[in-house]
Amino acid sequence: MGDKKGDLIGIVGRGSVLEESEILEAYSRDQSFVLPMRPSLVVKPDNADEVEEIVKWANQTGTPLVPVSSGPPRFRGDTVPSATGVVIVDLSGMNRVISIDRRNRLTVIEPGVTYGQLQPQLAKEGLKLSSSLAPRANKSVIASLMEREPRMIPRGQWAFHDPLRCLELVLPDGQRMRTGDAGGLGELAKARKRHLVPVAASGPYQMDAYKLVSAAQGSMGIATWASVKCEVLPQVHKVFFVQSRKLEDLIDFVYKLLRFRFADELMILNGAGLASLLGDGPGEIKTLREELPLWVVVVGIAGRSILPEQRVAYQEQDISDIAQQFGLHFVAEIPGARNSDVSKALNNPSKEPYWKCAGKGGFQDIFFLATLNKTPGFLETLYSVADAHGYPASDIGIYLQPVHQGTGCHCEFILPYDPGNPREAAALRELFAEASQELLNRGGFFSRPYGIWAGLAYNRDAQSTIMLKKIKSIFDPNNVMNPGKLCF
Amino acid sequence: MALSRELYQVLEDIVGPENISDDPALLDSYRYPLTHTAIHLGPFYRKYTPRGAAVLLPGSTEEVQAIVKVCNKHMIKFKASSTFWSAMGYPSYDNTIQLDMRRMDKILEIDEKNMFAVIEPYAIGAVLQAEAMKKGLNCHIHGSGSSCSLLASATSFVGPGPDGLFLGLANENMLGIEWVMPNGEVVRTGSLGSGLGWFCGEGPGPGIRSIIRGFQGAMGSMGVFTKIAIKLHPWPGPSQLPVEGIPPAYRTTLPDNFRVYTLAFKTWQGWSDGCHMIWDAGIGYIAHRQFNMFGRDLKGAMIKILTDPTKTLSDMEELLKDPKVQKMTEAMQRDFQIVLAGMTQRDIEWQDKALDKILAETGGYKVEEMNEPEIRDWALLYLIRLGHKNLNLVYGGGYDGCFGMVGPPDFGASHIEEVSDFKREWEKKGAIVTAGGDCTMGGIGFMGGGGLTMWENFTHFDPADRESTEGTYEFFDASYKYGVKHSLGYSLERLMSFARGADGMATSDEEKERWLAGAPQAFMFQYQRKIKELLDPNDLGDQTYRWLKPPKKKKGQDRF
Amino acid sequence: MALEDYRSDMERCSQCSYCKWIPLDHIKSWRFAKGCPSIAYNNFNSYSARGRFAVALSLLNGESGYTERVRDIVFKCVTCGSCDVSDKICRYNLEPLEMMRELRFTLVEDGQVLPQHMRIIEHLREEDNMMLEPRASRGDWAEGLDVKHIISEPAEVLFYAGCRFSYDKALWPAIRGAVAILKKAGVDIGIMGRDESCCGVRAYDMGFKDEFTRFAQNAIEAWREAGVKTVVTSCADGFHAFMRLSPRLGEHFEVLHTVQYLDRLIKEGTIRFSKSVPMRVTYHDPCRLGRGGEPYVPWEGKEEKLKNQIVIYVPRKPRYNGAWGIYDPPREILKSIPGIELVEMERIREYSWCCGAGGGVREAYPEFSNWTATERVEEAKAIGAEAMVTACGWCERNFLDAIDAASEKMAVFDIIDLVQRAI
Repeated sequence: MGDKKGDLIGIVGRGSVLEESEILEAYSRDQSFVLPMRPSLVVKPDNADEVEEIVKWANQTGTPLVPVSSGPPRFRGDTVPSATGVVIVDLSGMNRVISIDRRNRLTVIEPGVTYGQLQPQLAKEGLKLSSSLAPRANKSVIASLMEREPRMIPRGQWAFHDPLRCLELVLPDGQRMRTGDAGGLGELAKARKRHLVPVAASGPYQMDAYKLVSAAQGSMGIATWASVKCEVLPQVHKVFFVQSRKLEDLIDFVYKLLRFRFADELMILNGAGLASLLGDGPGEIKTLREELPLWVVVVGIAGRSILPEQRVAYQEQDISDIAQQFGLHFVAEIPGARNSDVSKALNNPSKEPYWKCAGKGGFQDIFFLATLNKTPGFLETLYSVADAHGYPASDIGIYLQPVHQGTGCHCEFILPYDPGNPREAAALRELFAEASQELLNRGGFFSRPYGIWAGLAYNRDAQSTIMLKKIKSIFDPNNVMNPGKLCF
Repeated sequence: MALSRELYQVLEDIVGPENISDDPALLDSYRYPLTHTAIHLGPFYRKYTPRGAAVLLPGSTEEVQAIVKVCNKHMIKFKASSTFWSAMGYPSYDNTIQLDMRRMDKILEIDEKNMFAVIEPYAIGAVLQAEAMKKGLNCHIHGSGSSCSLLASATSFVGPGPDGLFLGLANENMLGIEWVMPNGEVVRTGSLGSGLGWFCGEGPGPGIRSIIRGFQGAMGSMGVFTKIAIKLHPWPGPSQLPVEGIPPAYRTTLPDNFRVYTLAFKTWQGWSDGCHMIWDAGIGYIAHRQFNMFGRDLKGAMIKILTDPTKTLSDMEELLKDPKVQKMTEAMQRDFQIVLAGMTQRDIEWQDKALDKILAETGGYKVEEMNEPEIRDWALLYLIRLGHKNLNLVYGGGYDGCFGMVGPPDFGASHIEEVSDFKREWEKKGAIVTAGGDCTMGGIGFMGGGGLTMWENFTHFDPADRESTEGTYEFFDASYKYGVKHSLGYSLERLMSFARGADGMATSDEEKERWLAGAPQAFMFQYQRKIKELLDPNDLGDQTYRWLKPPKKKKGQDRF
Repeated sequence: MALEDYRSDMERCSQCSYCKWIPLDHIKSWRFAKGCPSIAYNNFNSYSARGRFAVALSLLNGESGYTERVRDIVFKCVTCGSCDVSDKICRYNLEPLEMMRELRFTLVEDGQVLPQHMRIIEHLREEDNMMLEPRASRGDWAEGLDVKHIISEPAEVLFYAGCRFSYDKALWPAIRGAVAILKKAGVDIGIMGRDESCCGVRAYDMGFKDEFTRFAQNAIEAWREAGVKTVVTSCADGFHAFMRLSPRLGEHFEVLHTVQYLDRLIKEGTIRFSKSVPMRVTYHDPCRLGRGGEPYVPWEGKEEKLKNQIVIYVPRKPRYNGAWGIYDPPREILKSIPGIELVEMERIREYSWCCGAGGGVREAYPEFSNWTATERVEEAKAIGAEAMVTACGWCERNFLDAIDAASEKMAVFDIIDLVQRAI
């Protein structure tokens, strides 16, 4: 260990290599059910050169690495080591916003840049990032995008990975490369002077290298910067709702908006989910659950740089007409929630504590991809399993997010619980496992296979599993990047 | 060299006697002249791709797989193509088995709610669009037009097109994929691999999508894609395009929620600003600099010819003298076409106003002459159905594109006059059509939501004329060198020179190295080599999938 | 022309495959998108215009020779001209149909003849018809018909029956009806009866250029002697022959199809309909009347280049892309018949699907011919038509045979049949 520590100090400097017990302990676990394992060291590089050196060193010494970008609490288990002797590569110190380019609506950021940090800076330049729903303020934007967290604005997602564009990566074998059209640009600032920017995600050549590291849980490389496509900051932004007692009543309405490519933010939340999002503490959340409608479609309409008021106005009218076609009402207020609170939740990172934890102190969420029309069936399955385990259905927060312009739907079931209560935790662990299996059986596609989902997902797709392992062996011949994750 | 009779029989047993042939004349209809469309090498006068060993018409994934396994067993190269338009889909080695995917032409499913279609290789754009429109949907049609295979474009080549702004790039629209890999294994990607339907192309985790294609696909060199799900997009028009007119001046009159304009700008800066503002506003269904491919000086006359069924190219000279045509041509100098499609009446009205505001702020205007109803409706149909793309070759029968200048609008706009001047000088030499130097055509957007423009400078020549063809070759050599010297980026005219030489055959390793080794991030070709070794251990693909031999090992470097 | 004269066309072919489809703008469905029956049935690229350009070039260059496959490729084409129309949406300067005809001439000259065709040609040489029937009975269809015989009694307008109509008894009502209607309308009409001989176009299509020339010249001579000014026919093949091919031999008559004449007479009010014919019908555009029915434009000129490399023709060359074919008169007639509901198939007018009878295909490849006709019947069924109406005996016969073979319920009428019912 002394040698390894010395090696790493030689790369990043003494102050950036950590081995204190409480620090190692903090990285040894997260809030998921993934079994804890203590890393051996934590290293905090400051720049891409150091990352590259670290990875090369890891190959030379056979040391497993786990990259971490976001601050705690973490929930997915992907940053918890699954091998002994892991060195955590904590990228949170690489938090430069390298550039913001209003004209091309691009920002280039380092992995440690968080939502809390980035959005205000973008706003100053008249831009905004299409965000996931109320991310933690200390959530790494790059990590969020690389892990394919769903965006709230499906109409803007032509590519499944939008708005992620190019990446600078250190591949597991230590090779530094850039994906997309960034590969031919040289120094970005100089390229920009020639009017060239890293905006096209595909490539280089005949590989979509950014997909290699997508939802890879750090097992296929480390990003040292990313270019991200931004929205124009709205000058006008309004939030509306459509409510119903039954999810089924809302589905065709949402499909219609997707078909028209109307609305910006567009999602379905159940009352419990919305309550968690808005409520301040368990008491308020409980109250809100009783007041809020059972199901709500949240619709955001933005007016940007060209005729903003008119855009919002006409879409408001049109969407109202559409709602009426389905016997629904398109309204600015719903019982239990202030429009401004919802708007604030959509436009900002989560308040503290993280909204999913606010009810009971902890949560597990089960999420997968499906198509929107099948979501009622998944509800049925989940409620059935929850009931069998004595878990109150009324506690379950449900977030349905159309993705990829409506081709798919991110289905998320949020199960709050008290992690400090061992019996509750154990019960939830069982419920989680069974529900995951049943939802998979019903047709849920666990495209981001964290924890136990990896086994479920890869058992289902033997051919892809074989292929992935072979691909891994090409890029990570020494298996240094987060071994034990996915099917590796 | 003919296939042995035994091998022929084995293959015949797979596809049936009516679906295999090794007749020499028939095989020669499966050779591509190296003077033709967008082959991105040459042109080479009276040179062709090599004759295949046999042509097979498989009818199912099972047949494809069986063929590929036979090829592996007997170490025979194979190459599949769908519509066989462009040299990339043709062998570059002798004794290659060619797979003509024509029999696999079905649209297996259109999921109206979730907006995707599942298609086989020979489901061409026009056919899918027609079927999708019945359900209020549309498909992205890439730039070579609706006679082409959507599957091939999405899996195996690049795939930008005029509608990319709204309907995305081919790559962006790919969902689940069924793939017979070069080793004969079948893999299904994303949700499909898990037996959960076609709707998601990614995963689990990274999935294998990353190695299927990048900016380009493998152009038939890495197995055969037998089905894909392709994302569809909203179509707020009639369930069937109402087409009228006397050929070739077909046109469509669409309801009032459609607009088609040719926008032009007083300066290239304004042009570029206009692109950005259109993207920022989120308007536009189709946006493309399409008709400029006929040449800055000739496009006005060509549009008149194409929209008048009594006119032919023989009328061009007279039309060029017509003051009205001259005025139109002048007005269109810095132009592109745009189609707006409103989902509702309010939507189209807002888009129209937004466009007017953009034009006011950028010094842009709508070219009046292009608003004449017959021209307007012709342009609308042209851009939506994209069914006239062999107009690329109307002048002399041959064309290929030079430059490319893919990048944000400012990039192309800052170089367009210099490349036009360069080409104009070469036009004077006689080998290529004198069209005004600027025959650049390309998407305004390139990908969904916009971001890039492309400037393929069309170079029109006569492939039946040795001097024209050889003169074009010289021009492309010069334009390529010019592009490299001036760092103009992605250069079309020699894009495929690494894969095939003047004799139509695969380049030697040395020649390939010459082309690829100096490319940015050339080490990627080492990874691609490893992927090829993984998937194609018997090396049955050709050079269109780029790879390089391992470099000489440097001390301490074991990476490759 | 010789095949070599088409070398530049072969080298300039776009390779776009438009020749395989109807004009892409007109595609309305997956099911009825195809335009070329040959490649639709045979699938190999060589069975398209594009493919035949390549095969022809290969033969010209000596890179391949005549084989059974080559004969199959060359002769398994209905010469319907669909490829020509689709090609010329963009490429005015290509002549795929003309090239394919030249390719056939070349094969025939080189002795590469199909025995099925040879049998017919030998009979044609002996008995002046394509139907393997005796010359002597050619005029039987007109028995009892009160009409001039122009050899003995001149008339201004010659009604030309054609081989198919003359010998196919089931189709006689159509031509008997045509003559009767025109005569009743006051047209000074005559026929040639048993003295009529083949127009030669089907021999031409099979590659026998000389046969065509001989028959065309014979006909021209006979008509000239009889003082004929106008030729009317109900046969689309004959119409094409007289309208487009014969004039190349230098003689010009006014050539009309029966539908054109009838349309004129109906619009003038000379023919009136008093009965209703309640029926949902669809009109099939015969290739040779539709896209092949454009007027002949004499041309002799040369290729020149404009702007260095734009290929043009001096003087202007006629395009023949189906733009000016005969599409509206038959439709006008049908719409004017009380009770008729005219519904259109997806592939109509210049982009109509062939009946499968042409190009020597019916004679040599009956399965392919039948398949082509069946496809068309399916198309008619798809729009709910009770009957197919057309204006060509060959189309009618091919559809009737296909319907019979498949035991389908679809009526087939010549347009005259419905006109007669309505008068």
